[in-house]
Amino acid sequence: MKKFVYLMLSAAACMAVMPTVAADAVPYKVADGNKVDAQTLSGWKTWRALACERCHGAAQEGMVGPSLVNSLKVLTKDQFKETVLHGRIEKGMPNFDGSKMVVENIDNLYAYLKGRSDGAIQPGRLTEIGK
Amino acid sequence: MSFQTSLIRWWPCLALAVSPAFAADSDTAQLSKDPKNWAMQSGDLSNQRYSELKQINSKNARNLQVAWTFSTGVLRGHEGGPLVIGDTMYLHSPFPNKVFAISLEDQGIKWKYEPKQDPTVIPVMCCDTVNRGLAYANGKIFLQQADTTLVALDAKTGAELWKTKVGDPKIGETTTNAPHIFKDKLLTGISGGEFGVRGRIAAYDPNTGKLLWKAFSTGPDKDMLIDPAKTMTWTDGKMAPVGPDSSLKSWQGDQWKLGGGTTWGWYSYDPQLNLMYYGTGNPSTWNPRQRPGDNKWSMTIFARDLDTGVAKWVYQMTPHDEWDYDGVNEMILADINVKGKPRKALVHFDRNGFGYTMDRQSGELLVAEKYDPVVNWASHIDMKSGRPVVVAKYSTDKNGPDVNSKGICPSALGTKDQQPASYSPKTGLFYVPTNHVCMDYEPFQIEYTAGQPYVGSTLSMYPAPNSHGGMGNFIAWDASSGKIVWSKPEKFSVWSGALSTAGDVVFYGTLEGYIKAVDNKGKELWKFKTPSGIIGNVMTWEYKGKQYIGVLSGIGGWAGIGLAAGLTKGTEGLGAVGGYKDLAKYTELGGVLTVFALPDR
Repeated sequence: MKKFVYLMLSAAACMAVMPTVAADAVPYKVADGNKVDAQTLSGWKTWRALACERCHGAAQEGMVGPSLVNSLKVLTKDQFKETVLHGRIEKGMPNFDGSKMVVENIDNLYAYLKGRSDGAIQPGRLTEIGK
Repeated sequence: MSFQTSLIRWWPCLALAVSPAFAADSDTAQLSKDPKNWAMQSGDLSNQRYSELKQINSKNARNLQVAWTFSTGVLRGHEGGPLVIGDTMYLHSPFPNKVFAISLEDQGIKWKYEPKQDPTVIPVMCCDTVNRGLAYANGKIFLQQADTTLVALDAKTGAELWKTKVGDPKIGETTTNAPHIFKDKLLTGISGGEFGVRGRIAAYDPNTGKLLWKAFSTGPDKDMLIDPAKTMTWTDGKMAPVGPDSSLKSWQGDQWKLGGGTTWGWYSYDPQLNLMYYGTGNPSTWNPRQRPGDNKWSMTIFARDLDTGVAKWVYQMTPHDEWDYDGVNEMILADINVKGKPRKALVHFDRNGFGYTMDRQSGELLVAEKYDPVVNWASHIDMKSGRPVVVAKYSTDKNGPDVNSKGICPSALGTKDQQPASYSPKTGLFYVPTNHVCMDYEPFQIEYTAGQPYVGSTLSMYPAPNSHGGMGNFIAWDASSGKIVWSKPEKFSVWSGALSTAGDVVFYGTLEGYIKAVDNKGKELWKFKTPSGIIGNVMTWEYKGKQYIGVLSGIGGWAGIGLAAGLTKGTEGLGAVGGYKDLAKYTELGGVLTVFALPDR
């Protein structure tokens, strides 16, 4: 009985929280900090393949380029896409619209970096949830 | 077939026919013989970075003080150093690659040159826009801009005399190297090993900018100016011809076209042998599984005939690189006794942690020993085959993609990067700025896209474990026996070019921003904190009876990047805190030349 009540309460809590989550449309799923959904995993692989850490740091903390932990708190998704695909050439940010991998994974890359910025995803290697 | 390809096919004949007829020696070598000048980036043709000046000596160096300073007005990493010819200093900056002619009389700016460059070059130089300095010959200053434009300026007025493009930034080709003047030729290289470019070196006519010869690091023999029957390499304990298709056979398919082997280091020249020497960089990508084979001739010391460009001998230090141990570091020419026998030697401190002594005439391998005891990726160099004996657990190829190979020493920064060492003929020793950094290396599969990074590995770097905790050493090296004579620990990598002098004082800079003077035994005599971290090279000259010491400060370059790559272990070893933040306690960006002299009596 006690257990049942607890479950009921938990469910109620979830129900209460769910709408806000949906409105914010968290673009990633994460477990244990380093297991993510397939899309977010592709985002991380894109980040890694394009060597983004050379400017933005291995933990997105910023180096020659700005901290993406901070930037993703400020940029809208559209601004993010614009910046990555078309670059900020004078500041040293290349345009990645020539990269098939980036173009195909721009939403996934956003999901990964948003997760890093939110502190939900840990820096470093990731694996897929359930694999 | 385009006009260009047919020209490339036939140019060796053109070069042979044309260049001797117009050969007019430059005055550069002659000017560099006068120790009052610093007419070449390394002081001389041999890359010795040694000066006969001795007004500043081991007794009075502690009295050195600032004579004057000059701001370049540019942030980011300042590598290389100024030239001094007579009463004028010529100084460069990182991108946008400004050039200043400064009067030594009153430090006034005689002229200033600032090229207009396409800013799209900045991203493909990621992550720093360094430039290693100017060259001088016959009243001309030569600048190799970031966007691969090679330009000649009138040394008196700064007026452009000619310019030519040596590469294409759209496919990731950039230039950071100093151009080099040897005899009647202007030599330049290419950068972009992390963008899958195909490395080469090229000789131009300093008077006109006309291409005289060009030699690739990879591909068909004719592209590399390799003569299969006459180009020699160390084989089974002796020199033997490389044979046909030595590069093509060492790659799978067309991977050699993206093969790297870039050429951004410090070249040298022996006028008696008429041979020029340089090293080639890493093969692309950093994921070794994607490029089976020895990947020739990346990671190689080349000796080429200066007139024709044809390779006399080659030696590959790191066949099938698995760690990014570029072979571009300087080739120092010195006539020394090696194991009791006088030799025309070439001494090279490779990124891979081994100090090599070669016979520079024949190309024979004489000595190959670790110049940092922590080097662990190879147990030793097998002197018969000339190949490193790789330790299996540090083989990132054997461990494979998506496996993190841990505790590899040195890191990809190498036991030394481009920061050039010095040789003192007076002591017979080499003074070497080194890194003391190890790494974890995790390769992964990657696709090539022109103009996009082509790296394929995640790295984490940290100070060499179980050592003094610092990330650098300044050492003295005996190239005859291959032994460290003394080693002075440093908190950070020593990323500054060294200078030795007849005054028994050796100079170098540190990442915190100190310029230091030590005696021949490594005892610190003096230090001074310059405005920013030093990755420039210390040099010296004399003007109106007074000896000066100059050094560029301005933190940046891969030293900064490397430090930023994470020095304390966070999650998965990628947490980037510690070292770089530590460096930030000492210094900030900003390019300044600081000049020192002894006080007037």
